[in-house]
Amino acid sequence: MSGSLLFQSLVLGILLGGLYALLAAGLTLYFGVMRVVMIAHAAFLVLAAYLAWDVHERFGVDPLLSLVVTVPLFFLAGVGFQRLLIARLRPASVTMMSVLLTFAVALVIEGALGFVYSGTQRRVQLSYSAASIEVLGAQVAVVKLIAFGLAAFSLLALYLLLTRSRFGQALRATIQHPQAARLIGIDTDRVAGYGFGLGLATAAIGGTALSLDSTIYPSLHWHWIGPLMAIIVVGGLGSIPGAAIAAMVLGIVQSLLQLPLGTTWAQTVFYLALFATLLVRPQGFFGGRLAQRF
Amino acid sequence: MNARTALRLGCLAGVSALLLTACSGGAAGGDDASDPITVGISLPLTGDFSEPGKGVQRGYEAWAAAVNATGGLLGRQVELRILDDQSNADRVVADYESLIAQDQVDLVFGPFSTRLVVPSARVAQEYEMLFVEPAGAAAEVFEQGFDNLFYAAPAIADDHYNHLAETIIAMPDGQRPQTAAYAAMDDPFAQGTAYGLKAKLEAAGIRTVVDEVYPPNTTDFSSIAAQIADSQADIVVGGTQYQDAVNLIVALRQLAYQPKLAAFSTAPTNPEFAEAIGGGTEGILSPTGYTPEAPYPSNVDFVQRYTAQFGNPPTEDEANAYTTGQVVAAAVQAVGCAEQGECQQRLIDWLRTNTVDTVVGPLSWDAQGRPQSAHLIQQYVDGGIRIVLPQDTAEAEFAYPKATW
Amino acid sequence: MRNVFEGRASSWVALLVGAAALLSFPIWSPNPYITSAGVVVLSYAVLSTSWNFVGGFTGYMSLGHAAWFGLGAYGTGLLIARAGVPAFLALGLAGVIVAVLAVPIGIAALRVRGASFVIVSIALVLVLLLVFQSWRDFTGGSEGLVVPRPFPDLSRPEHHVVFFYLFAVLLGLALLAWWTIDRSRFGLGLKAIREDEDKAQSLGVPTFAYKLVAFVVSATFTALGGGLYALWFGDLDPIFQFSILIGSYMVLMALLGGVRHLFGPVLGALVVGVAIEYFKVSYGDTQFHLVATGLLLAVVVLFMPDGVIPAVQGLLARFRPQQSSIREVSAAELKEEVKL
Repeated sequence: MSGSLLFQSLVLGILLGGLYALLAAGLTLYFGVMRVVMIAHAAFLVLAAYLAWDVHERFGVDPLLSLVVTVPLFFLAGVGFQRLLIARLRPASVTMMSVLLTFAVALVIEGALGFVYSGTQRRVQLSYSAASIEVLGAQVAVVKLIAFGLAAFSLLALYLLLTRSRFGQALRATIQHPQAARLIGIDTDRVAGYGFGLGLATAAIGGTALSLDSTIYPSLHWHWIGPLMAIIVVGGLGSIPGAAIAAMVLGIVQSLLQLPLGTTWAQTVFYLALFATLLVRPQGFFGGRLAQRF
Repeated sequence: MNARTALRLGCLAGVSALLLTACSGGAAGGDDASDPITVGISLPLTGDFSEPGKGVQRGYEAWAAAVNATGGLLGRQVELRILDDQSNADRVVADYESLIAQDQVDLVFGPFSTRLVVPSARVAQEYEMLFVEPAGAAAEVFEQGFDNLFYAAPAIADDHYNHLAETIIAMPDGQRPQTAAYAAMDDPFAQGTAYGLKAKLEAAGIRTVVDEVYPPNTTDFSSIAAQIADSQADIVVGGTQYQDAVNLIVALRQLAYQPKLAAFSTAPTNPEFAEAIGGGTEGILSPTGYTPEAPYPSNVDFVQRYTAQFGNPPTEDEANAYTTGQVVAAAVQAVGCAEQGECQQRLIDWLRTNTVDTVVGPLSWDAQGRPQSAHLIQQYVDGGIRIVLPQDTAEAEFAYPKATW
Repeated sequence: MRNVFEGRASSWVALLVGAAALLSFPIWSPNPYITSAGVVVLSYAVLSTSWNFVGGFTGYMSLGHAAWFGLGAYGTGLLIARAGVPAFLALGLAGVIVAVLAVPIGIAALRVRGASFVIVSIALVLVLLLVFQSWRDFTGGSEGLVVPRPFPDLSRPEHHVVFFYLFAVLLGLALLAWWTIDRSRFGLGLKAIREDEDKAQSLGVPTFAYKLVAFVVSATFTALGGGLYALWFGDLDPIFQFSILIGSYMVLMALLGGVRHLFGPVLGALVVGVAIEYFKVSYGDTQFHLVATGLLLAVVVLFMPDGVIPAVQGLLARFRPQQSSIREVSAAELKEEVKL
């Protein structure tokens, strides 16, 4: 195994980790605001990828343009999802029942995608899909770079929104202590709805980024939801920086482990990390009070 | 648990019993001379194998249309009863069970994909039915001890690259590749093709530098491609289906890797392949069991009828399904019966000892049902896919080393 | 507690009628296919009843019970195929192995409450799928594993009948175990966990040990169901054995029937199993079954999280003199106030 191969894998791992980080941030938002484990997150991711593919196929425009439609659409869908479905669940059992509910939504999306687009694997055909640039001896595909840039930009925007805006303060307050937030006049229901919308918007962006350089098929979401859930547990349920760091680390480890172990075994790293975390530090490595309770 | 619950349960058991009985109505059966011959088939029309599954369905339909247009089988019309198994082994077994035991079909044809052939062949075996199948090419299908099974294509997966292996091994020393990289999908068929070639090349001293197996639904090939590119192997062989080959090739090109020879199973014969990988197909090799240009008399007729019915020429999946129909029809015509019962054993015995002329050429089988012919090797030449091996049927010259992609 | 004797007598009659209808099924089944469909539905009943040891008593919803199903099936198959163990001994051994395996996994999964537990349960299926696909030397990988028939001399239709009764016996055992726990002090502790784990703990219920025992019992029964399925079906493939969908069917069946009732999961399995079989044969060529499964699950979760039995009971109760309920809704309402 040569040094250049190692470096190449490291670069690939960072690129992959960026996408994981964005998606895990979305999952964390749902959990933070509503204590909901959103199994359908990856299904929405695949749905967005299909929409990007469809836009490209139908109108011949760049799949990135589909973001203009999918991001607002998913945001609204997220708000609606929280207000109309999640809010109906009994608070006593919301964590368990929301898992089942979002699981059901994932099944519906998968089935509907198969119904509309058939089970055939699809891939966006771009004029620049085989193009690459050389960075310090590693070949970096242009499409992967765009996907990473998109993820990094969105993550930064999300970070700024949460830390610098009034809405962000309200959202963090809702995450940290809903009762207290309500006492100081924050409309936690509305904030929770927006939080959900933001989470789903990350799925729209992630899905578009995914469609650039990956094959998509209806049951692809199972391939993503496992690693993503492992990431949010390792990072500590409810902690966005924790999720981002865990995503990056695990993405890189997975990419490097593929060299000696092959793709299948390398994937198990997520689950090993998950079990190890629960045995050693159940609240996750960056989680606080929240994670311990759930 | 209380009275009401228990009562309701009892009612439900009764209702579901009624429902099940109702489902069982309408069984076919009867072998009146005027009755159609019903053929039971289960195919993956949804799920992972839905695309080739639909191809096989078109092939079966083309066969039934052709038979019915020319007076039927034994003077009886042919009727297909096709169920969807969703690419799922539980379903395929339930489907054949219901076709044979409930619908009392006269004949069964095989499903698609090795994974589904073995369980369904066992059902057919246990009901003592002849089982000719269009898609279970992997070696282990024929190692299960089935005595009712016949594969309706020229060769099993491990032998697909035989002509290519001979050609590579026969190259002069200076020209012959030294190292090879293999990447195969974890699927009995796809892996069989690549490993068949690997075994032969290794025996001839060509070193394996990369040997990767990936799960069927892998979408990210950058790591495998990185290893292949890093090894600078002279040749790259992909045991692939369709989309995985496209992804692997794109990933290899992203890394600017240029092999002297690139062979992939199945994918390159797909009409959309060239567009999918975005050009650069020149020199890519693929084995195939079928070509629409083949001069066999029944093939000329098949291509003509198929094109009239579906608007484009058939590919390998359609041809293998059509071949299945031809094989069973030949046995039925020779033996003079088509029904469940001891007729099936006579059909099996007849196929065991005879050769059938089909759209993929004359076929005969060994005791385990392995066909005894070979696959052709195709290569992209001047933008079109042409047969290059074996030399006596070649339409173009075998190009080595291949052009850059 | 009105009409105790009358109620008890009629419930015994209903039980006997139900059992007789079930056990005579292979006799009046019109053809072997219907019998085999009956075996499938019965296996669903076993699985969802097994699931209910955890889901019903403790309220921990495992979406990954397919892991135990797959381990039981592969355990049985591998013991027969690789070690030459006699079929039913292999089944028992596989149950023991899974019970042992379930202890450390249960410890990891149950250290945390709800959300992480569900995540672990799903992760378990996904990781086992990867392992059983990749470890080809041992498991046969994606080529699958062929389990030899335990009764090679039986014809296929006879084979179905024998396994129908074997599944019926296993179902009987699982129901008996559930019934016993339901009436025991142990069961009371488990239900306390379901209603309010913190309070149960502070009242001195050894919550962790109780949860773990329920988890192991549940895993073991699921594994036995899987092992019996392997002996019946004969062909194992990681994709189909470790399938998220099987796990979700178990949850759907149990929830639909009602997780607090002995026969709830069986009822759910009858309804869902027959529906799945019917829809797949009739409308198989679409992805509609996934959508239907998803919608049904969503409807159950949103509108009758306690299942059909309580929903119907609630409906019937309106036409009767009001009984006082001390638990069903009030615990949830109580918690609601505490939480928000």
